[in-house]
Amino acid sequence: MLRFLIHRVLQMIPVLFFVSVIIFVLINLVPGDAARLFLGEEASPEALAALRHQLGLDRPLYVQYLRWVGGMLHGDFGHSFKDNRPVLPTLLEKVPATGELTAAALVIAWTIAIPAGVFAAWRRRTTGDYLASALALLGLSVPSFWSGIMLIYLLAVHLRWLPASGLTPFAQDAVGNLRALIMPATVLGVAQAAVVMRQLRSSMLEVLSADFVRTANAKGLADRAVLTRHALRNAVIPVITVMGIQMGTLLGGAVITEAIFAIPGLGRLAVDSIYSRDYQVLEGVVMFSALAILMINLFVDAVYSLVDPRIHLAGGRS
Amino acid sequence: MRREVALVLAGVMVAGLLSAALAQGGRRGGTLRAGLDSDPPNMDPHRSTAAVDRQVYQSLYDKLVDTDQNLTIVPMLAISWTISPDGKTVTFVLRRGVKFHDGTPFNAEAVVYNFDRMRDPNFPSARRSEIGPIQKVAAVDPYTVQITLERPYSPLLYVLTDRAGMMVSPAAAQKEGTDFALHPVGTGAFRFVEKIPQDHVTLERNPDYWMRGAPYLDRVIYRPFTDDNARVANVKSGDVDIINIVPLPQVKELAKEAAEPGARFRLLEHGAFQWQGIYLNVTKPPFDNKLLRQAFNATIDRDVIANVVLQGTAYPAYSYFPNGTPAYDPAWKIPPRNLALAREKLQAAGQAGGFAFTLLTVPNQQQQEVAQAVQAMAAEAGIRMNIQIVEFGTLLDTLDHLQHQAGLLGWSGRPDPDFDIYPFMTQAGIGSFNDTGYADPKVQTLLDAARLLNDMAQRRRIYRQVTEILADDIPYVWLYFPKEYKLLSTKVQGFVQVPDGMMRFQPVWLAP
Repeated sequence: MLRFLIHRVLQMIPVLFFVSVIIFVLINLVPGDAARLFLGEEASPEALAALRHQLGLDRPLYVQYLRWVGGMLHGDFGHSFKDNRPVLPTLLEKVPATGELTAAALVIAWTIAIPAGVFAAWRRRTTGDYLASALALLGLSVPSFWSGIMLIYLLAVHLRWLPASGLTPFAQDAVGNLRALIMPATVLGVAQAAVVMRQLRSSMLEVLSADFVRTANAKGLADRAVLTRHALRNAVIPVITVMGIQMGTLLGGAVITEAIFAIPGLGRLAVDSIYSRDYQVLEGVVMFSALAILMINLFVDAVYSLVDPRIHLAGGRS
Repeated sequence: MRREVALVLAGVMVAGLLSAALAQGGRRGGTLRAGLDSDPPNMDPHRSTAAVDRQVYQSLYDKLVDTDQNLTIVPMLAISWTISPDGKTVTFVLRRGVKFHDGTPFNAEAVVYNFDRMRDPNFPSARRSEIGPIQKVAAVDPYTVQITLERPYSPLLYVLTDRAGMMVSPAAAQKEGTDFALHPVGTGAFRFVEKIPQDHVTLERNPDYWMRGAPYLDRVIYRPFTDDNARVANVKSGDVDIINIVPLPQVKELAKEAAEPGARFRLLEHGAFQWQGIYLNVTKPPFDNKLLRQAFNATIDRDVIANVVLQGTAYPAYSYFPNGTPAYDPAWKIPPRNLALAREKLQAAGQAGGFAFTLLTVPNQQQQEVAQAVQAMAAEAGIRMNIQIVEFGTLLDTLDHLQHQAGLLGWSGRPDPDFDIYPFMTQAGIGSFNDTGYADPKVQTLLDAARLLNDMAQRRRIYRQVTEILADDIPYVWLYFPKEYKLLSTKVQGFVQVPDGMMRFQPVWLAP
């Protein structure tokens, strides 16, 4: 296990390097002058030139890239063009909100999806299955910007049960925090539930038709034991892959949901930095997301071996 | 001399009326939650370039002078002012007993420091072009400041009702340098507490505020809501007390709901300063041909745009001066749609079958609806307009480099007419927003002359002349003047809607 982990961490380095090159090139390809957006239309050519020099934007691209990467290796992710705040603390500030939203959304998603997926596979082709599949399709198709606003109008405007926006930190007001989390987590969770449910159903169907399941049933094992102890454990591998991808994606920030519920997460930070060409903040967000996804992939791969003893990690004999 | 006395009397009267209003019924305490259309990036008024920053500044900073709802200049940090007969010297008498939030006294020295800061070539100031004509600022005595101009500059007073007139604490500015935005210090009714980007800006009551009785509120919290629907929903749910921008497509519905008995919110409407329209690039085809510009312009029905597409939330526009602003001319007629004229111009240009071009616009619902309406109108004369949607920063960039054929873009507007036209129609260099590439020596001369005149009636005549020239040349197709709306909870009392769209919270209090 340790060798596996070390290998994987070492593998992350070239991946992160490529990500950094790609994001740097992409950002610099986008039209729009950061200095101009920062100083505004009032800026004289001299002021613009001075600011560009101050921000290091007048250096050749490869120099700018090396300065950035060099800085990151020292823990300096640069500064926001807008207010000079250092990037890393700004990023870390947003992580709790995004982290909470991700965790809550996935708890909701998986709590719905796993029983639903198992049930739909077990009771395939019955009304129950069709209903579950239809609901899953609905969850996938309904856009979050619509379901979000609908929930706000129902639960915040009409019934006044929940706050319409914001996310007070948990440490400050735990109850308020959880109340504010319900709607956005549900919006995100329901869409994600659909994905997992369908994947699980399809996996389960495949496993349920396997010989060993027939044997288990023939042995007289109760349905529940067959489903959970035997079928589910085998069906869950591809589902774990999907779950890992979900986690990674959500940790990058749920842009639309954060905008609708005014949650100060990584998604809003990313969008805001794109519009204002706040390069260093944007680069920081992307690198952070890439790192998060890599870490989660690593974790997921480790989980595989726990779930299925036939899977060996890090080379070695099979 | 008489003028100075009149101003002082006016100042005293206004202050008196305000104090009377304040004394009248305001309930002390409470936290006001204000929703903004985007996150204010910068708390330093001398560096700010975003309109949304100005909302927070109304509470944090005082200006030398302010405007009231009738666009009259009223005293604020300056209690009176005189302009020399040659128009080149403006003397301000300052209010006494005012302190910055950090205890630094407000006086002539502080004012001089502020102007020096804005004009310092080593400081990334965004105010330079607005106060360009200022040559020297000096303290005559501790409470009198004299501003010397290179030449008469009539827009000056209105300029000082905005960011260029906002006074920051010299002590704090010197200490923080470019980090001042992170710890802003002004003389305003509210002091800075904290700013978490994309989440909130919190201000608390300034107990030493110079306006007696004000402010009533204990705290003001500004929160950004980039999604239009969410912003409105938060007022309706009671999570926010007032929002600065109401999406125009929802105005009609909101007005109806607000009028119902038991409604928990109100909708305020007022003429504003904005103008909206289409920049035509006169430096390249097809719009380097005046006849084609005129043809396109003649296909547009401005009444339909204002009253049907925008459902009455805007006035039709045919100049740079919105209804209610000082240079607005009610006698100036808006030409109706004239397809015959359009076809005539096309014929004269040798393009009887019409022509094609691309219009750039942003992914905003309103802008797109207007663009589609214009597209349909132009098509009837054979003019084929393609709509291309680009992101805002990209739009600005393309227009600034004159790479477009046409761009749908407006201006937030200013109370003084000069800034509504000068940077757009002249080759002004610094601070130029001339995204049409238009240069006409007569227009340049006239606009330069208008800046030197202090009499608004005279200036209005000049602007009328310029508008007549532009209405013939059509480098910019004027479309509409959006009205300004505020949506607020019925708990909010004492709020006065000013056409500049800024929310002023000094007299505001919250009913239980």
